[in-house]
Amino acid sequence: MSNSLVTYYPGNTLIHKLDPRIKIIFLVLASVVIFGVQNLALCAFVLLTMCALWVVARLPFSLLASFGKALFPIMIFLFVVQAIFYPGTTYVIKPLIPTFVPLIGGIGYVSVEGMLFAVLLALRLLAMIILLPLVSFTTPVQNLALGLARIGMPYQWAYATTTALNLVPILQTETGVIMDAQRLRAMQSFEKGKLMDKLRAYPALVTPLIIGSMRRAQLMSIAMDSRAFGASKERTYLEDVDMHPSDWAFLAISIIYTVAILVIAALI
Amino acid sequence: MTTPAIELTNVSYSYARSKKYALKDLSLQVEQGEFLAVMGENGAGKSTFCQTLNGILPNSMGGRLKGKVLIQGLNTVETPISQLATKVAIVLEDPETQFFTSSVRSEIAFGPENLCVPVDEILERIKWALDVVRLSGFEDRLPTALSGGQKQRLAIAAGIAMRPSILVLDEATSQLDPVGVKEVLSVVKELNEKYGMTIVMATDHSEEVARVANHVVVIDSGKLVDEGTPRQIFANLDLFDKYMIRSPQVSQMGALLVKAGVKLPIFPLSVEEGCRDLVDVLGGKPAPKAKIEKKSSEQSVSQAEPIITVDHLDFVYQPLNVHAVKDVNFVIHRGEFVALIGQNGSGKTTVLKNLLGLLKPTTGKVTIAGLDTREVAVADLARHVGFVLQNPDQQLFAETVREEVAYGPHNLGLDEATIKDRVAWALKEVGLEGKEEDFPPALPKGDRAKVVIASALALDPEVIVLDEPTTGQDYRGCHQIMQIADSLHREGRTVVFVTHHMALVAEYAKRVIVMTGGKILMDGKTEEVFSKPDVVREAYIIPPQITELGQALPAELGLPHTPLSVAQMVEPILARLDAVHTGLEQQVV
Repeated sequence: MSNSLVTYYPGNTLIHKLDPRIKIIFLVLASVVIFGVQNLALCAFVLLTMCALWVVARLPFSLLASFGKALFPIMIFLFVVQAIFYPGTTYVIKPLIPTFVPLIGGIGYVSVEGMLFAVLLALRLLAMIILLPLVSFTTPVQNLALGLARIGMPYQWAYATTTALNLVPILQTETGVIMDAQRLRAMQSFEKGKLMDKLRAYPALVTPLIIGSMRRAQLMSIAMDSRAFGASKERTYLEDVDMHPSDWAFLAISIIYTVAILVIAALI
Repeated sequence: MTTPAIELTNVSYSYARSKKYALKDLSLQVEQGEFLAVMGENGAGKSTFCQTLNGILPNSMGGRLKGKVLIQGLNTVETPISQLATKVAIVLEDPETQFFTSSVRSEIAFGPENLCVPVDEILERIKWALDVVRLSGFEDRLPTALSGGQKQRLAIAAGIAMRPSILVLDEATSQLDPVGVKEVLSVVKELNEKYGMTIVMATDHSEEVARVANHVVVIDSGKLVDEGTPRQIFANLDLFDKYMIRSPQVSQMGALLVKAGVKLPIFPLSVEEGCRDLVDVLGGKPAPKAKIEKKSSEQSVSQAEPIITVDHLDFVYQPLNVHAVKDVNFVIHRGEFVALIGQNGSGKTTVLKNLLGLLKPTTGKVTIAGLDTREVAVADLARHVGFVLQNPDQQLFAETVREEVAYGPHNLGLDEATIKDRVAWALKEVGLEGKEEDFPPALPKGDRAKVVIASALALDPEVIVLDEPTTGQDYRGCHQIMQIADSLHREGRTVVFVTHHMALVAEYAKRVIVMTGGKILMDGKTEEVFSKPDVVREAYIIPPQITELGQALPAELGLPHTPLSVAQMVEPILARLDAVHTGLEQQVV
């Protein structure tokens, strides 16, 4: 129902079965690639790779569509900003104010370079937004925590990290309920208000969200402590990590892919 | 003599940054294998008491603890959590905040993992714990996707997987529907009887306490004010007046009869005992010649104009395609007082949300005061319908009670003078005059709910809709909220509410709509609905205890078959006895 970034979608695909440590390393490598590539074609290729992995993981496409929808306004905004402000010389629309005017001169043009850069940003954003759930949707939180712990993070920290991730969907639902409560008190803005009204409506969201989160955090810590969390430095794991040949293969491919893309990017 | 399971000696506790004692000079001894019920109002100190037992207070949360808490002879302050966790497991009220992983299996493993239990043994414990709580086969399920009762049973499994000998349930059933309560309690009862586990249960469900507990303590303002067996505790009328402890309805009846000088063979705790008592007291005495049928004096509301019309409403949640409401039809007229009841998941909340346009019908039509909800914004419907959502904490946005209540009128664009009047009136309706400057989230639970109701009232709506206003409230809170609803009804407003407290439904609602599986099972006058216990049970609804008693009594006693409140049962009994004593036959005109 929600388009949260951290809900587990059970499955039995290659991606689901990967060692969580490999997924974390993959997450880092892929982020480097996404932000390291300046070339449009290469970036499109990276995006395609992410989409391909999405198919491999058999994650629902409806989710991709909903992310796209949520991101659309941001992309339009980026596009407009970059198109107008990115320094370029190939004008599509000539500057509104001639370049010889001091300070504000040159503002108001739209350049080809700016538009291309905007496209690049949009592609990166899309790639990132596919990459994150590719990991978070296919890994149960406890395995993610295990992965972090086995990479070397103290397990209390690992659990703190994943618990924080887990709060995201909860906060999203809660925000929805609070907005409903405001509409029920005749708050128009979420439906048809002006931008200023909307901006004014948001602070009222914050109080119940913060108080709710603090209450929740306290209850959760009581529940965790009651289950002996942090009682000793070490702990056992029901399902421990274990590298299979497929994990090594995936890791090798990820590294080769990263290096290859970065080398090509440097050469072009 | 064996060491007691729990021994508290002069325990006082205050939270960090608080001068007030949440527990005061509390001494108590609980033997291994006992079933202890902890009763008291919200804020009396029940949760604090529960959390001192596993050392969370003060070891994890800080605060000051005076006196001694011994668990099987171990002082909680000196014993490491890792050791205490294998003695005491705790299940908390909110099923949502106790899970940290995304499968039932790993959730149960979480505690033992922290205790460094070897994997083979964890696997064995998971199997055992799931078997005890009857969730075998659920290993791979997502904890958040379980029903309320299943979640709390999972929390129990996660607790007992640490092999404790004491299980503490801190209001663990107060957010569940009656079916969930039953599921959880049957598991707890089995742990107590079959495995000899000591149980400590903080709860308001006195009917269940009477059934399962053998030791009851009453806490008020952090002090232990009474202690005894359920029979001793519930026989005490005074306790109810002073500490608002709700006895089982049959016991309430018993206490009123005893007070009137009636000698009962046994003070009743259950329907069976109440039945035997009444047969004994009244059996053989002549039944009145005619039944006293009080004709309802209210004019029929069906003459009034319809204010809510639900016409062939179907609702499907997307993207999961859950068909939550199927072909629901009803009309509510101006001035009605309607309860919508049914098990969790029966579609009640979905119907309510459709009334307000928070959800739009998949097919069918809902009209409110002539407005089609599909065509009108929620904010505009809010002028006609005041809708109070379940959790007050998600509905408090402002820094003072005054601003909170004024929020709606401001949105309507009313002038300051009118807003002032509206706020004053709304706060008076809910009895919160004088709290205008308080910070809403810091108020007690009952008052927070009242602020939210006042905020809805400030829009001066014709209809008030309350979604589970009494969940998590204590007895006092429940009744105060229902009395507000009742007075709004008397003013001529239309009231629709959802609750799991059948005693409240019976006592207050004039009409009841029963839902099950997304459909309406029954729709009629309250008395009509409860007079058909078989049909009501189909919707997994357990009628109020006093109604059950009326239905269990032999007909020849001539007592009401469907009493809706304790008074409706006690009055005819006393009238009968009075008539017998004075030797006068009741004359029925």
